[in-house]
Amino acid sequence: MLYLSQVLGRPIRDLEGERVATIKDIIVRLGADDHPPVTGLVARYRRRDFFLPRFHITVLNQQGARLNSDILDLRPFGRRESEVLLARDVLDKQLIDVDGKRVVRVNDVQIIEAAGDWRVTGADVSLQGLWRRLAPAGFAGSKKTVEVLDWADVGFLATDAATVQLKSSSDKLARLHPVEIARLAEALSYHHGSEVVESLDDETAAETLEEMPAESQARILSDMDQERAADILEWMSPDEAADVLGDLPEDKAEELLGLMEHDEQADVVELLPYEDDTAGGLMTTEFVTLPRALTVGEALARLREMAETPNMIYYLYVVEKEESWKLVGVIALRSLILAEPSMPLEEVMRTEFQQADPEEPAKEVAQRIAEYNLLALPVIDDSGDILGIITVDDAMEILLPKDWRQRLPRLFG
Amino acid sequence: MAEQGAAVRAAGRRLMRRGAQGVRRTVARRKRLLAYVAILGPGMITANAGNDAGGIATFASVGADFGYSLLWLLIPITISLGIVQEMCARMGAVTGKGLADLIRERFGVRWTALIMLALLIANAGVTVSEFVGIAAASELFGVSHYVSVPLSAILIWFLIVKGSYKKVERVFLLMSLVFLGYIVSAFLSRPDWSAVAVGMVRPEFKLEYAFLFTFVAVIGTTISPYMQVYVQSSVVEKGVTPDDYGKTKLDVWVGTIFALLIVFFIIVSTAATLHKSGIQITSAADAAHALRPLAGRYAQTLFGLGLFGASMLAAGVLPLATAYSISEALGFEKGISRSFREAPIFLGTFTFLVAVGAAIAIVPNLPLIRVLLVTQVINGLLLPIVLFAVLRLVNNREVMGRYVNGPIYNAAAWLTAIVVTILSLLYILITLFPTIFGHR
Repeated sequence: MLYLSQVLGRPIRDLEGERVATIKDIIVRLGADDHPPVTGLVARYRRRDFFLPRFHITVLNQQGARLNSDILDLRPFGRRESEVLLARDVLDKQLIDVDGKRVVRVNDVQIIEAAGDWRVTGADVSLQGLWRRLAPAGFAGSKKTVEVLDWADVGFLATDAATVQLKSSSDKLARLHPVEIARLAEALSYHHGSEVVESLDDETAAETLEEMPAESQARILSDMDQERAADILEWMSPDEAADVLGDLPEDKAEELLGLMEHDEQADVVELLPYEDDTAGGLMTTEFVTLPRALTVGEALARLREMAETPNMIYYLYVVEKEESWKLVGVIALRSLILAEPSMPLEEVMRTEFQQADPEEPAKEVAQRIAEYNLLALPVIDDSGDILGIITVDDAMEILLPKDWRQRLPRLFG
Repeated sequence: MAEQGAAVRAAGRRLMRRGAQGVRRTVARRKRLLAYVAILGPGMITANAGNDAGGIATFASVGADFGYSLLWLLIPITISLGIVQEMCARMGAVTGKGLADLIRERFGVRWTALIMLALLIANAGVTVSEFVGIAAASELFGVSHYVSVPLSAILIWFLIVKGSYKKVERVFLLMSLVFLGYIVSAFLSRPDWSAVAVGMVRPEFKLEYAFLFTFVAVIGTTISPYMQVYVQSSVVEKGVTPDDYGKTKLDVWVGTIFALLIVFFIIVSTAATLHKSGIQITSAADAAHALRPLAGRYAQTLFGLGLFGASMLAAGVLPLATAYSISEALGFEKGISRSFREAPIFLGTFTFLVAVGAAIAIVPNLPLIRVLLVTQVINGLLLPIVLFAVLRLVNNREVMGRYVNGPIYNAAAWLTAIVVTILSLLYILITLFPTIFGHR
């Protein structure tokens, strides 16, 4: 087992043992492997950097490297696709530890020789790793086991080397809950935070964005390729998507809106006219309506057959007739399941229920939802039509203090 | 099956005719909000945080000891502070990373360790000065500082660790606004404005210990190392990007000029009151004298309130910001919501700074005002280390892309760093060999 810090600056010797250069960096290829293989060294000779391919190297240890020939092939170094330099791109940089759900900084890199290959097996994130590099050589003889993060758990490498993000890493990230991904992305710099979101699939990216602060959502989407941004917007819930678009510059918002699929676009457009801090701005347009003439059994069958089930089906909204939006009653899913299948909906539904006007202040509606312990509240226009519903999770966001997330407190307010 | 699915979707679509003019409305509203926030932006806050206990003591001493003769120093210092703060703010906007992060990623562990050590010492010094400020303020009210300092330290520790600091922060902030009173006081004390004008434009410099001491202290308290770290973190925290950086740049410069304007009035009012009557500042009560023209016999109360508020404010924020920087650079867990086991380095650094700051401030027979000045000198001596790191980073194209310094700007920035370094070296020389320049 070898640490990167023990190898850097060590001599490279030829077959005779003659010192020909020093090790400046180690090149590894990121790819499908959980533990990326070493593909060569960057050798420093007379203040210039050269590339030493893996097959020229027979020995690599704390004493340095040894070549298998006398002839040093002085090919200038150029980075190839999906290659990273351990000292330059990995050491001292941040990465996401998927297993520990945290952002850590790489103090050292662990390399193990197995089956004739040197592979990066882990990132040392411990204090000892730091000490190994700080202390004079030979001073850091601690044999204590150190905390090494398995490279297989690395979900994202926050490095400036372009195009090194591995496909496999986004799969690893996707194992986390979107809330966690959002938290980790926020802990990185905004460039890397955007990269994290971009590396995810559309659906996960949408869910992750929804958990981020509004400004971050707007920034990430506007920096992204427009087609991709539109795809992600389609996956977001219409109310969240409308909020983001509202935060973007007008022309940008219109462009993105134009790129969205017709159905999703229409849903979002409905919500745009409402101010953020009103019931209309808070509501989502995903809800289930059922005509009053149905029986309980028929209603349940419809729910089961529904192609896209909205998130919120704990309340079902009963309307005058098919294709109508005139709200006449509300049924909790529980009452529907417990009721006799042959009963008409009219007899199960409640006709007295809490409702909101689209212009009502968001805060008041949110308080009402909390007071009455509701999961959702319908928003009704003047003619009695249902426009949308406000769900309890959106209400919570209004009611919880803004800075419940612990952050560096500002000096002044 | 498809048609019920459609029924759900249609719920929204039906409203389409309401049109999309809403986009415009929301955007417009948000812009107003941003403009409002900018009034108290990171640049304004940080530059004015320099006017804390150590700052007040230093500037009051400058006025009392040297009259108007050092006022000229404020012009180059304003420019230097603005440039230094602007560079850090720009780095924050371009990279989205804190200064400690960048230092670690670009300079490796050994340099990071050195720079962080310098920052730790400088900030420990400033923290001591804040607790000394608390001590001095409480003595003005007749409360023994053996009681007030430990109590304040415990209060600050609990407020921050329990996360309720933000609520009381405003109270301290409000109290520290008392120092705006110096502006009024400066006018009421009827200074000799022509002498002020001469002091502003005629540079006076002597190779003497007292002179260099004051010089380095003034630089150290105005351009403190923690301010660079702090302004960059705030810019990152605020999510500023190169696109909207213009506003932040303005905020930095306006903040700098405003802060130095207050310094100007502190020096003028102390010069017009204390220097004229030959009083040297040895205690907080002396410094309070300069508020007499404004507050009469309430000068001490007013000064005490301001000093206490400003000191409490910084005594909490400074150890916290230091703990953040060090954990950030070394890659340790951070955040006040963590337990000691989760984030030992973070909470350890924070607790250590509060404890050491309070402990030193209650050493018996401590010459309080002298200690305040000495901590500012330490700041000034360590400033070059941070400045050179900042300059190397801000001129690195890999870090900053096309946002590196321009040539003239860069020259001014390097000049600042070099002059500060020379002054620091001169000060160390004259301290070690008092007769080296033939005086004393």
